[in-house]
Amino acid sequence: METVFFHVDMDAFFASVEQMDHPEHRGKPLIVGGLGNRGVVSACSYEARAFGVHSAMPMFQARKLCPQAIYVQGRMHRYHEVSKTILSILATFSPAVQQISIDEAFLDMTGTERLFGKPRVAAQLLKQKVREETSLVISVGIGPSRFIAKMASDYGKPDGLCRVAPGKELAFVDVVGLKKLWGLGESSLSALARHHITNVAQLREYGKEYLQRTFGVAAGEYFYQVCRGIDPGIYSGDSKSHSISTECTFPVDIADQDILHQYLLRMSHEVMFRSIEEKVMGKTVGIKIRYADFTTTSAQETPDKPIYSAEEIYQTACRLLDQRLTTGRSIRLIGVGLYQTRIGEAPLQEELFEDNFKRKRELEKAVLSLRAKGRNLEKASILQQRGPSAEIDGSTHS
Amino acid sequence: MKFACQKNILLKEIMLALDFTSQKNTLSIVSNVLLETSSNKLIIKATDQKIGFMTELDVETIEPGTTTVFCEKFLGILRTLPDENTIFEEIGDKFFIYPDKKSINFELRTIPSDKYPKLEEAPKESFFSIAQQDIFDMIDQTIFAISDDETRYFMNGVFLEHSPQGLTMVATDGRRLSLINRQLEESISAFEPVIIPAKFLSLLKKAGSGEGTIFLAITDSIIFARLNHQLMYSNLIKGQFPNYRRVIPANQTNICKVSITEMNEALKRVSLLVENKAKRIYLDIEAGGVTISSEESDFGQAKEIIPCDYLGDSCRLAMNYSYLSSPLRVMDGEFFLICFTESNRAVTVKPDPEKDYFHIIMPMQVD
Repeated sequence: METVFFHVDMDAFFASVEQMDHPEHRGKPLIVGGLGNRGVVSACSYEARAFGVHSAMPMFQARKLCPQAIYVQGRMHRYHEVSKTILSILATFSPAVQQISIDEAFLDMTGTERLFGKPRVAAQLLKQKVREETSLVISVGIGPSRFIAKMASDYGKPDGLCRVAPGKELAFVDVVGLKKLWGLGESSLSALARHHITNVAQLREYGKEYLQRTFGVAAGEYFYQVCRGIDPGIYSGDSKSHSISTECTFPVDIADQDILHQYLLRMSHEVMFRSIEEKVMGKTVGIKIRYADFTTTSAQETPDKPIYSAEEIYQTACRLLDQRLTTGRSIRLIGVGLYQTRIGEAPLQEELFEDNFKRKRELEKAVLSLRAKGRNLEKASILQQRGPSAEIDGSTHS
Repeated sequence: MKFACQKNILLKEIMLALDFTSQKNTLSIVSNVLLETSSNKLIIKATDQKIGFMTELDVETIEPGTTTVFCEKFLGILRTLPDENTIFEEIGDKFFIYPDKKSINFELRTIPSDKYPKLEEAPKESFFSIAQQDIFDMIDQTIFAISDDETRYFMNGVFLEHSPQGLTMVATDGRRLSLINRQLEESISAFEPVIIPAKFLSLLKKAGSGEGTIFLAITDSIIFARLNHQLMYSNLIKGQFPNYRRVIPANQTNICKVSITEMNEALKRVSLLVENKAKRIYLDIEAGGVTISSEESDFGQAKEIIPCDYLGDSCRLAMNYSYLSSPLRVMDGEFFLICFTESNRAVTVKPDPEKDYFHIIMPMQVD
C-alpha cells in the first residue's frame, strides 16, 4: 500500500491565537514575545512579517521595524489549550497523530482513502474543519514520507496545501534546495560548501561511502538519503515507548550554570527514584530548556551502556545543558526525562564488566526504601542548593 | 622537482597513503601526500598526525626536490591514467602529471613541503618479527568485537599483550569479547600491554599479503610496523583496558556442539526478521536440536531448527545475533561449541576441536 503522510503546521500560531481571541487585532501586525528590553520575538502575524519582523529577532529590533504593531506577552497556557483542540480535530482524521511541537504534527494517512477521499481532498477537508472550529489557518504538506511531507507544508505558506506524489521526491528536493532541506543547518551547509557542494544535484553525485568517509558515518548517511528524497527517519521513533520526566519552572529566570546544575541534580534523582519505583529502566536521557523568551529546545542522548543511577542521568543532563548555555541567556524552565524505558530491573543487554553505577542503583534503592519508612534522607549536595525554591512537577507519559 | 616512473608502481603506494591522510578538511596540509625525489628514489609520506606512512620506491629522478599534493585527487588521477611511463613535475606551485606518449595533462595545486608535519621516527633496535599470517589471524579473530562508542575510547582498539610463548590479542565492546593467544616460534622480548586503534590494524592488513613477515616495534605511545619497503605507525590508545581475565567463564557444564555452516546459514535467514535495534534472537537448546528464532515483530517471525550434540537440560538463551554471527564468520573447521551455565550468564563460543581463540557473549534478557 502506498504510504501517505500529512504534516500539519499551524501558521504563525501564537499570533493567530491572539488574533482569534481578540477580533479587533485581526488584519493588523501583531507580535508575541518577551516585551522586556532583552525580549525576543516568539511569533508574529503575517502582517508584521511584511515589515521584516521574524521570530527569534530581538524585540528592540522588531520595535524599530514595526513600531505600530500590537505587542503581546506570550500566554503559553492558552496556546497549549488551542493546540490541544486542533490535535483533537487531527485525531478524527487518523489514528496515528504524532505531535512534534506545540504547532506541528504528523498524521499517518496511509489507507484512509475510503474514509476521506484522495489525499488532497482529505487535506482540504481537514483545513476546512480546523478553520470552522477554531478560525485558525493551517498549512498541510502531503508526501509519501514524513520527511517529504514536512518540507511540502512549508511550500506556499500561509494557508498552504502542497502534495508531492510518490515518484516525484527527487524533483521536489531539487526545487526545495539544499538550504531548506530538512535537517541541514548552517554547520552542515558550510561543511558541504567546503567540498564545493552547493546544491542538491551536486550532493547526489557523491556515493554513500565517500560522504561517510568525508563527513562521518551518520552525517554521510543522512546527506546520502535526503538528497534522494529518502526519509532519514528523524521522527519515526517508537511512539509506544514510555517515559518518565519532570520539569521545573523557576520563579526568577536563571542564567547561573551552578544553580542550574543543582536543579538538574535534584531532578535527576527524582526521575531515577520514580523509575526504580515503577521498576523500569530507561535507555535515553533527555532535557528540555525554555529560555526567558519562551523559545524551547530539547536534547537527548542515548549512552552506549545501561543507565543505572541518578548520577548518570545527572552527568548526561549537565552535558546536554552546557552545550546549550549561552552566557547571559537566562532560562525559565528546565526538564529532565528518562526515555525509551522498558519494564524490568535489568537492561535488555547485560554488560560483561562490573559497572560501578549498578552498585549506586542499589544504594538509591536503599534510600528509597528508607524514605518509604518515613526517614527523611537527602543527598548532601542537594541540601546545599542555592537559589530560590521552585515548583517541580513530574509527569509520566505512556 | 621532476621524476618519471611507471604509473601503476606509484598508484599502489598512493592508494595506501590515502588512508593515512586526513579526510576531514580538504584544504589542510594533512590531506596532502608528501613526495620527495633524489638519486632515483621517491619517498612518499602521509600522516594525519595520529597515524603515519612512509615508503620508498625506484623512479627516475630528473630533478631532485620535494612537494605535497592533495592525496585524494592525486589518486583519482592516477587511477584513470594509462599504465605507462609518466612524468611528474612541479613548476611554481603547480604539480604537472602527464604520460610520456599521450596528450593528457593534469595540474594540481601544491603546498610547500616545509609546512608538512614531521613524521615519527622509528626506534632502530626494538623491532621484532612475526609471520604476517599469524598477526593477520589474530586481527581477524578480534577486530570485529571492538566498541565504536567514543565515550568508551579504551575499547575502540585491540588490546595486545606479551604472553610467555607468544602474543595475546583481546577486543571487547563491553558486551562480548574475543581473545586469541598465538604461540610463536620466535621469542619476543616482553613489553607493556597496549591498545592499538582498530583502524591501524585494518590498514596493516590492507598493506600486507598474508605471506612473509612483518616487523613490529612498540614504544609507550606508538606502534610501528615495517612491511617490505613501507613503514607505518599509529598513536596508541591511552587508557585502562578492562580486566578481561575476570570475565572469562570457568567450568561451563552445558556444552552444545553445532555445525558452523548450518548455524551461519540459519542466522542469515532468521536475522531477516529480527528487530533492527536490539537484534535479539532466541536459541532454544535441547537434546534434539537448536531452535533459532526471532521475536514476533510487525513484519512477522522466523524460526529454524538445526541438529546439535547436547545432553543437558533444555535452555533458552537470548542474544544479539551479530555477536554470534561475526565470530562464526571467521571460525575455521566444521563444528563449534556453545558453552554456558544458565541463561543470564556469559556464553563461550569456540571451535571444536579447540584452537587458540574463543569468544564470550553476554546474553540478553529472555523475556
